[in-house]
Amino acid sequence: MSSRRPRQSGTSSRITDDQIIDLVSKLRQLVPEIRNRRSDKVPASKVLQETCNYIRNLHREVDDLSERLSQLLATIDAESAEASIIRSLITQ
Amino acid sequence: MRNPSLIKEEFLKRWIIALRRCTSLKKNMNILERNKVVKLSADLAMASARNGTTSWSRALIANATRDNDNRILAEQILGPESEILVKRVSTMPFKTCNRRKIRSKRILKRSCSSAIRRVRKTVPRKVLANCIAKRLIQKRTHILKSLVPGGEFMDETTLMEETLDYIAYLRVQVDVMRSCTYC
Repeated sequence: MSSRRPRQSGTSSRITDDQIIDLVSKLRQLVPEIRNRRSDKVPASKVLQETCNYIRNLHREVDDLSERLSQLLATIDAESAEASIIRSLITQ
Repeated sequence: MRNPSLIKEEFLKRWIIALRRCTSLKKNMNILERNKVVKLSADLAMASARNGTTSWSRALIANATRDNDNRILAEQILGPESEILVKRVSTMPFKTCNRRKIRSKRILKRSCSSAIRRVRKTVPRKVLANCIAKRLIQKRTHILKSLVPGGEFMDETTLMEETLDYIAYLRVQVDVMRSCTYC
């Protein structure tokens, strides 16, 4: 579905097919959803969509993890082994 | 691309140093402050591990130090190298709210959609599909630009390279934070 017509206008603001192929081959190792499809059948818009979703998920996970970690630090129990590990790491 | 375990090591080292700097400065933080500290130190550790070599890392540091509330905290986290890093990012363009651009885009969109409705009866399906595909790519590129820090000012090629680098570093950040939280 990706446009295979050669672009006569040559605008630098459009993503070229080569860039898409390059991006797909690299993203295949990183983004799980694209791994299962063959590269010639993945349209550019789908690649972009999966990338955006993946980045959004990673952001959400970072927020979630930092919240949990800060709660963990706040409720440090003196006897807990994990808490003392973390505490020894971050306080000096 | 760099070895992920090397990146992990680098990130973890910087993050721990950053957290130590924060906790030594302020002993009793409430939960919101602590949350902000943890997140900010993780983001800045990730960005500084790149040492200003990539655009997204410079943009991340720039955004953190521009906001007046976070500026002092960010500089404390970055420590002695903050001066060098801040100088390097001070040339980054400022993210401005382009309301006028958005309004004119909406007007253009409305006129385009009515034109497309007229054209749809006469134009072959393949051309139309290409047009829609192009529109989708444009729209999604725009979204990607808003997700990657500093993306709005990049051209397409740079955006792709920066995205790949940014994703690799985000994964490292998530892995390290996850193993810290669920140890």
